[in-house]
Amino acid sequence: MATLNLKNIQKIYPHSSDQKKAKKKKGEPEKKTNLQVTDQGVIAVQSFNLDIADKEFIVLVGPSGCGKSTTLRMVAGLEEISGGELYIDGKLMNDVEPKNRDIAMVFQSYALYPHMTVYENMAFPLKLRKMDKDEIDRRVKEAAEILDITQYLDRKPKALSGGQRQRVAIGRAIVREPKVLLMDEPLSNLDAKLRNQMRAEIIKLRQKINTTFIYVTHDQTEAMTLGDRIVIMKDGFIQQIGTPQEVFDHPANLFVSGFIGMPQMNYFNAKLVNEGGKYAVAVESCKVVLSDEKQKNLTAHKVQPQDITLGVRPSHMVLAKQPGNTLSAIIDVSELMGSEVHFHANANGKDVVVIVPTMNADGERIDSYHAGDKLNLTFSGNVCHLFGKDGKNLEF
Amino acid sequence: MNQVKKPVSVKKVILRVLLYFVVLDVCVITLYPYFAMLCTALKDRSEIFASIALGKSTILPVNVMWSNFIDIWSRAPMARYLLNSILIAGGSTVIAMLCGIPAAYALARMKFKGQTIFLGFVIVSQMFAPVVLLIGIYKVMGAMGLTDSILGLIFINAAFNQAFTVWLLRGTFMGISAEMEQAATIDGCTRVQSMLRVLLPVAAPGIVTTLIFIFINAWNEYTVALCLISTDTLKPLTVGINTFNGYNMIEWQYLFAASIFAIIPVVILFMCIEKNLVSGLASGGVKG
Repeated sequence: MATLNLKNIQKIYPHSSDQKKAKKKKGEPEKKTNLQVTDQGVIAVQSFNLDIADKEFIVLVGPSGCGKSTTLRMVAGLEEISGGELYIDGKLMNDVEPKNRDIAMVFQSYALYPHMTVYENMAFPLKLRKMDKDEIDRRVKEAAEILDITQYLDRKPKALSGGQRQRVAIGRAIVREPKVLLMDEPLSNLDAKLRNQMRAEIIKLRQKINTTFIYVTHDQTEAMTLGDRIVIMKDGFIQQIGTPQEVFDHPANLFVSGFIGMPQMNYFNAKLVNEGGKYAVAVESCKVVLSDEKQKNLTAHKVQPQDITLGVRPSHMVLAKQPGNTLSAIIDVSELMGSEVHFHANANGKDVVVIVPTMNADGERIDSYHAGDKLNLTFSGNVCHLFGKDGKNLEF
Repeated sequence: MNQVKKPVSVKKVILRVLLYFVVLDVCVITLYPYFAMLCTALKDRSEIFASIALGKSTILPVNVMWSNFIDIWSRAPMARYLLNSILIAGGSTVIAMLCGIPAAYALARMKFKGQTIFLGFVIVSQMFAPVVLLIGIYKVMGAMGLTDSILGLIFINAAFNQAFTVWLLRGTFMGISAEMEQAATIDGCTRVQSMLRVLLPVAAPGIVTTLIFIFINAWNEYTVALCLISTDTLKPLTVGINTFNGYNMIEWQYLFAASIFAIIPVVILFMCIEKNLVSGLASGGVKG
């Protein structure tokens, strides 16, 4: 139970001597990622500002190398903070040892102590705090009960399956009743089925223990299902902070719109026009007037008519019966998923994915479309996402 | 199908026979000196010098003289030599490990300037044969007043095994995920505690292997001990058994009986670590 304040947090990895030599020779070090490189070194995280409320579940999500794990490790104290301030419950924690931060962490690799039994693993942090033996026993058994690992307490980690090991790792973290529970991709090493199961377990666990969670993942499903708020990161920068619904409905930029949502959002080169005080988007022969909410947002930001990238989620594309004010596309592949069909189509050279229910409201079966068939696509004015040339959402 | 299979199986059989033949050869070549040593140790003095070629003796002892193994204890201070060897090998193992573990930990887990150069320097120090350095060692030990002392030998053996210790342990530590120690620091350990309570127990197989290896190396060391130690009661076994190699005659039966006695601890230790040694070297060599 704690509040966290991360103020302008920055992480710079200094150049190694080899890199410095290479830089002297070539003038510029080799760039392996899009991270910013300065004279001081590679900037892994910068301008990270986030206030986390008590008992909040925050998910840091982003592609590999975006700085999410680095941020978590800075909160844990495993990485030095190069700049900015970290407060836990109002106390500055930048130079406090990990053991004195009252945090617990679950690692992707479980990081269990292989020479200790499950019981000893879970009791280890409590023993180090010189807790009373009976209290240790009570806490370990209670945590084991919550995580359903009571029958494995005498076993060594090597005699457990991946899922059981991860439960032990979580158990070791929760016995301490820490202020903040950090989880670094805890489900990445598990197979798909177990991952779904453990995800549900974490949601249940959260209801049972009162603490603040920071959870790192690259899996958007985990981010959407677990987080109270999601922090989406790329190249060391925060792209957007918001509730799962907010980031899904109102992505701040092209990156967020593409990262959140499966399958990925469809993009079209379009024009934003203003006709008689009403904003509309025009893609080829299709023109759609935007919803009132969007009209209001665009007017408030005094957005000028311009060339834009229009984003529409696959599930928001609608099949029109007749051609007219529509986009035409030819189906490349049709995937029947049971209750819905995914059409991968080609609209004037652009790949478009359309998700439609197998049966429409009139009882017509839509899965009767096949590869090579023509689709007439349309969308309504409230599901358009408008991105300017710089990739930013024009409504923001 | 059968026609195709037959020649392959014949080839396999031939290869297998050849393999066994090679293995047998290697075994005979390797083990014969030990066999000869044992046979000689069990012979009477006159039997040793009787000619096998003329048929007056055989390789195997005619009269098995088990008493040779008892006689060596009264003819030389074997118990003293044994104690000295244990002190030297044990002491140098302890010192080499006490210095080697922190060094290997630092090299495996920390980044510092000149790390690569330091590692290279460590391995270079392993490349000198003790004989090359003998005069220098003698001078240094003389200056420190440790020429005729067990303590001097302990330091020298510890130093000679340091490079090996550092490299092997560094490999072992690098093969162990650092996340375990990080978990320990979050759980409440200091850095030293996380090393002592988590890293070292997990690295135990590698540590035991290194430990026994140093012990065996120090136990077998001969050259430096021969040059540095002049007092009879301070000699280790390797040098001490030379007592039977006298000015007037060599008492082969005692020399070999004492040699067999000296190699027994080494053989037992090797048997203990044989499996660990293979996995220890493998796990140390590859970053897991």
